[in-house]
Amino acid sequence: MAADAQQHIARRRPPTLRAFRGVFGALRALLYVAICVIFLVPFAWMLFGGLRAEREIFRYLTPFSWRTFVPIEWTLDSYKTILGLNETGKAAGYNFGRNLLNTLIVSTAVVISSLFFNTMGAYFFARLPFPKKNWLMIYVLATFLIPFEVTIVPLYIVVRTLHLDNTMWALIVPWYASPFVIFSLMQFMRWTIPYDLDEAALMDGAGYWTILWKVIVPLSIPGLVTNALLEFQFIWNLFYWPLVAVGDRNIQVLQVVISSTLGQTQQYWGRTFAGATLATLPVVVIFLLLQRYYIQGVANTGVKG
Amino acid sequence: MFCKKQDAEGTMARQLEAAGQPGETSAIGRLLTWRQRRLIVAFLFVLPALINFAVFRYIPIVEAFRASLYKYSLLGGFGEFVGLAHYNRMLTDPVFWRSLQATLLFVLYKVPLQIVLSLGLAILLTRQTIGTGIVRSAILTPMVTSIIIVSIIWAMMYQSQNGLFQSVLVTLGLRKIPFLSDARYALPAISVMMIWKDIGFSFIIFVAGLKGIPEMYYEAAIVDGANRRQLFRHVTIPLLKPVLMFVIVTQTIFSFQVFVPVYQMTKGGPLDSTKVIVYYIYQQGFNFQDMGYASAISMVTLVLLLLISWGQMRFLRSDD
Repeated sequence: MAADAQQHIARRRPPTLRAFRGVFGALRALLYVAICVIFLVPFAWMLFGGLRAEREIFRYLTPFSWRTFVPIEWTLDSYKTILGLNETGKAAGYNFGRNLLNTLIVSTAVVISSLFFNTMGAYFFARLPFPKKNWLMIYVLATFLIPFEVTIVPLYIVVRTLHLDNTMWALIVPWYASPFVIFSLMQFMRWTIPYDLDEAALMDGAGYWTILWKVIVPLSIPGLVTNALLEFQFIWNLFYWPLVAVGDRNIQVLQVVISSTLGQTQQYWGRTFAGATLATLPVVVIFLLLQRYYIQGVANTGVKG
Repeated sequence: MFCKKQDAEGTMARQLEAAGQPGETSAIGRLLTWRQRRLIVAFLFVLPALINFAVFRYIPIVEAFRASLYKYSLLGGFGEFVGLAHYNRMLTDPVFWRSLQATLLFVLYKVPLQIVLSLGLAILLTRQTIGTGIVRSAILTPMVTSIIIVSIIWAMMYQSQNGLFQSVLVTLGLRKIPFLSDARYALPAISVMMIWKDIGFSFIIFVAGLKGIPEMYYEAAIVDGANRRQLFRHVTIPLLKPVLMFVIVTQTIFSFQVFVPVYQMTKGGPLDSTKVIVYYIYQQGFNFQDMGYASAISMVTLVLLLLISWGQMRFLRSDD
């Protein structure tokens, strides 16, 4: 609970240090630091833990101090091992580079195909005249009600019938269209792109296809970036589906391989930290760079959706 | 806005009609009118998505219902027809009921606390000062991190001998707590981790919701002599209600389907205390190879979730 009214006025001003004056100000600053510590300590432990020798992790664990986190001897050994670049790694059969590449291929393929097909679908719902279009919209939106994790077993049965199981296609094909992306792009096209533009193009004799790619898509870039970002994060972080859909370790994604080789045994903490960092860094860096679009996308699900 | 959209489409259709060339002579041109061809072209835009939803979202449910009536194994495929036997088995399966209980308990631990904390954070951070940007990024980082990575790292933090939490406890002079290997602590420990992970989602939505409240409501209330508590109780909460309900419904549905942390951290133990429903489905389907029974539990859970969201939405409407 806070001084809401004052906040609402203060928000308009540029950020200042004023909020940190006085006793309450000091408490607020302390709270800020505490929040950052709570949310970032596990990441710091992971990041630094991957950059120090295995025995150091345990030796400096207690007492709890800055030495628990910051390495004395910095080394890339854990990374070399899991990437299969040194003898230990080769002997253990690690090839995380390959799995990281798989994750990258799957995520990129899903983002590209999903942007392509969902943009077409969203354009249909936002602009094209069609009888009983509302019924089709209900057909799309009703999929929101299908719980995702609960239907993994049934989805596996279908993918197996199609003989897609244990291929990389199994990780890509089910996600080339998304009701969420269609809905959010449709909203974007309806609210932000003037109808005059495509009507003018129609009068000039342009077809739907030309209008979509020459008029609508260039004006939908912010919406497309937001959805690409959400989709990328969703696919990159997927675990349950690749776990059941793919058995072959050569085509498996990084997240599953880390869990099955390092996470279950909990023997080599340095390697686990290094692998976890490898799987986390790309998506966190992209998020930090494009945070504005990401927040916009999530906020829209609650406020407009 | 909706009507305006319909109008715009109507005009567009008429303009299209006017722009069409009646003198078409190709084979298709003779078979179909110009308008029919336009409709087919339009439909082709949405067809790939419709096929995807049919094959990967709707058919799985139909297949699951079918599989739930048969013996179905991973190796042998469809076997003998058993009717409702799987559903009967569920009624007398104590593990199924325990898993339902563990799932509900997890939702009860997680959702209310997450909502209170994220609302508090949202209110604290709506005021733009130096540092809010950093604090916000910190809160959102777990949210974009893979749930499996979070589970692996937290399993190491909770570890009963060398975990990070044990280090803090020992340094403070307290006894070690076996978080994940004690039936009393395992589910709460997973709940805490999941609140930490998911709080960013509700936080973003609350921040957006708070920004959407017009300032004049607060100003009017202040003129009437309202204090901070009253402002929160009578202005913020009522105006935030749609957003609040959205977060409650979606978080309940998401949390009900928790799987990865259990798979990675406890495998359902100790003493089935963390064996949530989706993990039980996984175990039946992929460990015990009993896809028929797994499908039956999936169907029941699906219906249960539909009932829960329907109930919550009714509750939201009747209260307005």
